Amino acid sequence: MLPFALGLSALGCGIGLGLIGYGAMQGMARQPEAIGKLQTAMLIALAFVELVFLLTVFVGAGAFKP
Amino acid sequence: MEFLVNSTWLMASEEVAEAGAEAAHGLSFAGLMFYIAVTLLVVVGFLAVAKTGLNTRFFKKPTTQLLEQLYVFIEGLCVNIIGPHGRKYIPMLLTLWLMIFTGNLVALILHAGPTADLSFNLAMALIAVGYVQYEGMRANGVLGHFSHFAGPRLPIAMALIITPMIFIIEIISETMKNVSLSLRLYGNIHGGHEAVVAMNKLGGGWVPVGDFLFPIKLLTCVVQALIFCLLFAVYLSLVTHHHDEGHDHGNDEGHAAPAH
Amino acid sequence: MSQSEVNKAPSAGSIVGMIIIGAAAVVGGAIIDQQKMFHGMEDSLHHMGIPLEIGKTIATIGVFLIMFKILHLFFFAPLFEAINGRTSELENTFGEAESLRNEMTQLKADYEKRISDTEASAREQIQAQIKEAQDLKKDLMADAQRKAEEYKQQAIAEIDAEKRKALVDLRIHVTNLSLQATEKILSENVDNDRNRKLIDEFLSTVEVKN
Repeated sequence: MLPFALGLSALGCGIGLGLIGYGAMQGMARQPEAIGKLQTAMLIALAFVELVFLLTVFVGAGAFKP
Repeated sequence: MEFLVNSTWLMASEEVAEAGAEAAHGLSFAGLMFYIAVTLLVVVGFLAVAKTGLNTRFFKKPTTQLLEQLYVFIEGLCVNIIGPHGRKYIPMLLTLWLMIFTGNLVALILHAGPTADLSFNLAMALIAVGYVQYEGMRANGVLGHFSHFAGPRLPIAMALIITPMIFIIEIISETMKNVSLSLRLYGNIHGGHEAVVAMNKLGGGWVPVGDFLFPIKLLTCVVQALIFCLLFAVYLSLVTHHHDEGHDHGNDEGHAAPAH
Repeated sequence: MSQSEVNKAPSAGSIVGMIIIGAAAVVGGAIIDQQKMFHGMEDSLHHMGIPLEIGKTIATIGVFLIMFKILHLFFFAPLFEAINGRTSELENTFGEAESLRNEMTQLKADYEKRISDTEASAREQIQAQIKEAQDLKKDLMADAQRKAEEYKQQAIAEIDAEKRKALVDLRIHVTNLSLQATEKILSENVDNDRNRKLIDEFLSTVEVKN
């Protein structure tokens, strides 16, 4: 069960990262002069989404261990 | 250099022997100190070489130019995120960046390193969050800093219920900052190694498939150090940006801050 | 900008204090790691897959605090000093260049003014000279004309006088001739006053016809 659960969490994390990238890319394409600010905000958002997955792996998976 | 690599491998193999069958085990105390020493050696060596090229006209030495680029980058980070008063946090950010980025590189090249160890990362996160608290207390006063935790001013009836909740949530979020900063760094660097090891098995012992991940791991090194410093700067700006608006501290910054 | 005072080197007291705190943290971390003080908590964390060891963390904090101050003192402070020095030097250079440029502009305006003044005065002088010359020319012309007129009048008068003289001479001569002729014709002397008068009267009629 554990690999499947991890895969599910990775799926959610991937969707979240993709959405952030999508939004940031669109914003950058529309306003190339705001690329710096958008990149900063995008990186922060990416870090937070990634953290969810990392917490899942370290805390959740550890708790599942026999 | 050869000696360094050899001794590193010696240390690492000793590590493995010590750790035994337990997979999720970090370095020993001496091992961590060794890798920190390697990191500091690289940092101090780089800075010492760069320092010889310092003058007040034009930096001709490539390492000095690199250091200047780093300074400009960190200064931009401070000024853009924290504001014009963010210049005084440059030394801390510069030290954090150098330690984490060099630690990442050491972990990347030597296959074990300070940032691949959760204890080191937790120390970095504790330093960052502790420094944020210290600066918040210095900017707003101890009471002001803790009242900042308690959220907005409310009518007494509501404040009795809501303010303690907000206070507790803020305290938890401050604690979670530590966890998130350290776990993110550890997960990315250590997870990168795990991924390499796992993918190397795909080649059947002949083709090191995982080692082709090197470029993406290099990118991870840069991005993780950047995110750490970025989040540190954001936390600092959250704590200190009331300083210019609400509290009457006078203009001891010497210049007016733009509107936030 | 107050950046030069913001990024100054740390004071000796803070360095020593930080090194003491850092060294204490390193030693404390080593002792904690040696004695396995938080062994229970660490074990449970290891069981969850989190390889955390408090001793190592505390020792790392100590190392970081020491390194923070040392790096700041030995490397960052000179770097900030150099960069701030360069910035202020650039500012000074630009300020000097700006003031020099202002001075140059001032000088240029002065010179231009002076040149235009000189040009104007030269033009005035030339105009005055030309006017003078024209006056002189007019005077000379008038003078010459006057003199020419005078000479002309004189010449005319002389011519008149000569003409008159010649006429008188001619008349006398003609009178003599006619008297002689008449003498010859009359073989007698008619040279008396009555005859002369007669001839004169005749001649005057002739003259009138002329």
